[in-house]
Amino acid sequence: MNTVLTALFIVLVLVVGSYGIAVIEQLLAFGPRRVGAAFLLPLAAAMMLLRQEDVRPRASDTFLFRSAPFIAISVVALVALVIPVGPNQIGFDPQIGLFYFIVLLSPFVIAMMNAGWSQNAKEGLFATFRAAAYLVSYEVPIGFAAIGPVMAAQSLSTERIVQSQSGLWYVVWQPLGLVIYLVAALFISFRHPFDSAQAGSELEGGVFGEYSGARLLLFKLALNALFLLLMSMGVVLFFGGWQGPFLPGPIWFLLKTVALTALVLWLTRLLPRLRHDQMLALSWKVLLPASLVNIVLVGVLTLLIPGGR
Amino acid sequence: MIGNDRPTVKKRSGGLTHLGRKLHRYVSIDGGAGAHLLAQLAGRDPYFQQVSSPRHADLLLIVTPISQKLAPAVVAMAKALVRPAHVLLIDATHGISTAFPRETFVSVEDLFPGAARVPGNSIETILATALHPEQWSDLSVANLSEPDATTIPLPQRQELELATELAVLSLGPLQPFTAGPLRLFLICDGEQVLSLQVEAGYAYRRVEQAMMGVNWQEALTLSSQCDPLAPIAGQLAYVRALEQLQDWQPSVSITALREAAMALERAQNMLWWLVRFAHIIDDAPLYERSYHLATDLTLLASSVWKSFPLTWIQPQQVVGRGVIGTIDAAKWRRIAESLDRLTRQLTHHRGLALRTQGIGVLAPDRLEAAGILNGPIFQASDTGKGDVLSRLLARLHIATRDVFEIMDTLLKRETAREQMPDWNVPEGEVRLTVNGPRGAIGLHLLSQGGTGPALVEWQRPSATLLALLPELLAGQKLADAEVILASLDLAMAEGDG
Repeated sequence: MNTVLTALFIVLVLVVGSYGIAVIEQLLAFGPRRVGAAFLLPLAAAMMLLRQEDVRPRASDTFLFRSAPFIAISVVALVALVIPVGPNQIGFDPQIGLFYFIVLLSPFVIAMMNAGWSQNAKEGLFATFRAAAYLVSYEVPIGFAAIGPVMAAQSLSTERIVQSQSGLWYVVWQPLGLVIYLVAALFISFRHPFDSAQAGSELEGGVFGEYSGARLLLFKLALNALFLLLMSMGVVLFFGGWQGPFLPGPIWFLLKTVALTALVLWLTRLLPRLRHDQMLALSWKVLLPASLVNIVLVGVLTLLIPGGR
Repeated sequence: MIGNDRPTVKKRSGGLTHLGRKLHRYVSIDGGAGAHLLAQLAGRDPYFQQVSSPRHADLLLIVTPISQKLAPAVVAMAKALVRPAHVLLIDATHGISTAFPRETFVSVEDLFPGAARVPGNSIETILATALHPEQWSDLSVANLSEPDATTIPLPQRQELELATELAVLSLGPLQPFTAGPLRLFLICDGEQVLSLQVEAGYAYRRVEQAMMGVNWQEALTLSSQCDPLAPIAGQLAYVRALEQLQDWQPSVSITALREAAMALERAQNMLWWLVRFAHIIDDAPLYERSYHLATDLTLLASSVWKSFPLTWIQPQQVVGRGVIGTIDAAKWRRIAESLDRLTRQLTHHRGLALRTQGIGVLAPDRLEAAGILNGPIFQASDTGKGDVLSRLLARLHIATRDVFEIMDTLLKRETAREQMPDWNVPEGEVRLTVNGPRGAIGLHLLSQGGTGPALVEWQRPSATLLALLPELLAGQKLADAEVILASLDLAMAEGDG
């Protein structure tokens, strides 16, 4: 019974979180900025999609096409389990929580590739190849960026990583790691400016080009929720998770996550959409060497300063 | 016309007014005359959003007129919409399309029985109609043959180990990279474009033949449709040709007035192009700034003339200071300074340079060989590197210069009252050019002393650039090819003729 309640609670949190991301996006978006519109527009968009018919393109791969959004949302729900929102407030706490989180991100990209491939359209195929490029470009930098907090905390447990930041947040002495983590997080969540796999003007909607109605809504929900989870993990790894004075832990966690999400979304607006090869070059020529430098720096600091701080 | 359209001031409203509002997402089809209108519509209301896939839309906006060749693609787009869906027809030429022969355009009402229709002269009217599609009848599409789904054959290729498989990506005819429909067959090796074939003619209107079949007065209306996005340039070329045939020289002040009207049209074209370009490269700050600038300029332009230039740039009209309306010098100066500031900032914008620098380079000698000797494309190659970024900056420089020129001319108000010549056109032949927003628009007009033109030939900048596309896009990356294509600002109605 507890498991079912936990699962329902996580799904509810993801839906609300996804809505929150949509609200922030609306507040940052171009056009008449009305607070009322920002809060109600995501609901109107959801209602519109729910009213629409669910179309499957001719000669598409039915199983892959229909299952892709469910794979995406399942992955997101599983990943959410290891995010600690407060002391002892976590879906489950394996000793390898961070490893579990990073490994489970890959099937999300697979879901995106399935969505593009199954459409039996050339635009979808090109978008699939781009999604595959994303998969190989984020894995290594995000893993290396996350090693910094692991080295400092001497643990892969997400709860332990938060607890080890009780004195000083890791962002203070691992800012490079945070930047690498956030850029890689944008890769994984197909966010602007790394959104060429679902780019509107280039490939007519990319991997989502043939999706409509409830399935499209499910995909959008999964994408927003994934971004929220990546920002939450950023808070866990670099901003001391739930820790903070006066307010309860979950409130601190929520405030930090919302602030980080809004900041990242605002910063990403400043760039035009990048080409996939520019993204790959950024990953292999900049992020990878920088993440290695970060590991060396963190290692030296951890050895020189007791507790690494 | 864009210049006569007056955007409404934003109204403030409380959050409760949004309760119960429905969101509508649309895909748009531009028959060739609606690029600026569609750019104005996008981003006007948060509950009216543009999407690129018909699967994500519940509304199809069709900017008419639509050519016979484009009709099957329009029908295919409508069929791809998910239900419930609706169609809204917008007349962008304000009825001028009826001046063309009947067989030129398809009857869109027959294709979509029961579709709503609005005139294209007011964005607010279009928006007010488009936000309530549930009041119209549901989408109904007439039976029409599907568009040609065949593609082009792949070229022979020597089999190599580890060679990738080539693919043909059909881009268009309905795509956002040109103002109007154009189809490209891109032969791609992965993300690299190896070669391409261009298929134009989707906005073909037979302007020249139509002008040769009517009298001098009727040909004047058609001349404004040489480029529907720059009607003043086309009409002015025609009027100047008539004046030269009649051996009549306009005064300096009339010439200045005409130049100001054309400069305003150029500046508006360049800013609405920038809005579309920023949308294509998904640069939100640039989009926001250019949209505000273009909207502000459009608003100012609506009060500059007491009567729109098309009504007084024609024979037998008395032109004097009466044609000039209200000039708010402070607002004009603010726009000119904003444009200048934007140009300087974009020169050092590293993010923009990432997507636009060093791609789509056109050398000046190549342009000269093709006969392109002025306009923003030539200026970008002549004074800059000739790449996409240079073209963007060149357009902004021209727009800034034009706005200053308009200020100078209109603030002086040294306009003498003058009557232009009549419609008695003697025998003769004339060739001339005017500086349109996309380059020099040339006109070759022959009169045999009859009631109408004996020969009309337009030299159209978009058509000239279209011929350069295969060599320009070959070897580029797919994502770059689309940015390069957008940077040329091809107006397909003008390009197809």
